Amino acid sequence: MPSTQTPPLTGTAIDPPALRPPIDDAAIERIAPANVHARLAELKREGFTLLLDVGAVDYPQRTPRFDIVYHLLNLRKTKRVRLLCGVTGTAPKLPTATDLWKSADWAEREIYDLFGISFEGHPDLRRIQMPNDWEGHPLRKDYPLRGPARERSPRPAFALKSNVQAGTPPSGRTLEALQQQIAKIRGEDRSK
Amino acid sequence: MEVGPGHFLLAKLDDVARWAQSSSVWPLTMGLACCAIEMMSATAPEYDIGRLGSEVFRPSPRQADLMIVSGRVAQKMAPVVKRLFDQMADPKWVISMGACASSGGVFDNYAIVQGVDTIIPVDVYVPGCPPTPDGLLYAVNLIQQQIREGGRGGLLARA
Repeated sequence: MPSTQTPPLTGTAIDPPALRPPIDDAAIERIAPANVHARLAELKREGFTLLLDVGAVDYPQRTPRFDIVYHLLNLRKTKRVRLLCGVTGTAPKLPTATDLWKSADWAEREIYDLFGISFEGHPDLRRIQMPNDWEGHPLRKDYPLRGPARERSPRPAFALKSNVQAGTPPSGRTLEALQQQIAKIRGEDRSK
Repeated sequence: MEVGPGHFLLAKLDDVARWAQSSSVWPLTMGLACCAIEMMSATAPEYDIGRLGSEVFRPSPRQADLMIVSGRVAQKMAPVVKRLFDQMADPKWVISMGACASSGGVFDNYAIVQGVDTIIPVDVYVPGCPPTPDGLLYAVNLIQQQIREGGRGGLLARA
């Protein structure tokens, strides 16, 4: 069955739709936070011996706000399962999966670091990517891109989006003006 | 400096010291990002930074004269860069290689230091994204020029 997350294909895609098979190898399950550890243990007993990754997604407009995504692989049957678990609040908590798969260790640390979601029972829940004294969780959508300290300072002129969209060179001069200047340097007369 | 008729050299001792020093500016082995690829390319035969006497990339900051900040400096890397710079013996020089090291470049965000000159003093900035190896060689040339023309270094260099 094609995944609901298959991106919509249009006729303008570079690769023709026929060459791009739908993502159909992962069964997607949504589960409540209270049941997630029991379900993970059950899946492990069923043969999903490999936890490939644990990820998180922030949907700021939605309740529950965060999705924790477990990617599991059954090596014998070559089957995949994607387990989604919604959590909400400013400091959400989930039971850890490190007692089932050691590979959950750093993945859960990363989620804690970048999303501020705690995993109860994790042996070593520290930041992994940001410096230890960092404040805030940068991959949350409400985290200012340029950092809390610099968010209100003006952006340099060449970084303004309007310049990029208009195709104006960083100097502010138009392409025509630049070409005229180049011609002038080369000693050509472009007015004819 | 002049070569006398009996094939000996007359020069001020300080000039000789500066000549030797400027011909052996040894960089620190430190690559931060993609600019480091161009830095490695500058050491390879095609560009051959060895012609300037700078081919000896030292693995220890104690033995290095030149820090080439080759790439974006992450906030987490900033204290490390500062510490390496502090560990280098005087006199020492810094090249800020590329747009990211000089100003943050395209990374106008929370994770990247907006110019390495906010944490350590920079002698030469090399523009480009990434700069060509020629650009880096020219930067080393400029530092050699500074040394020969009475910049930091020489006999009276602070130990």
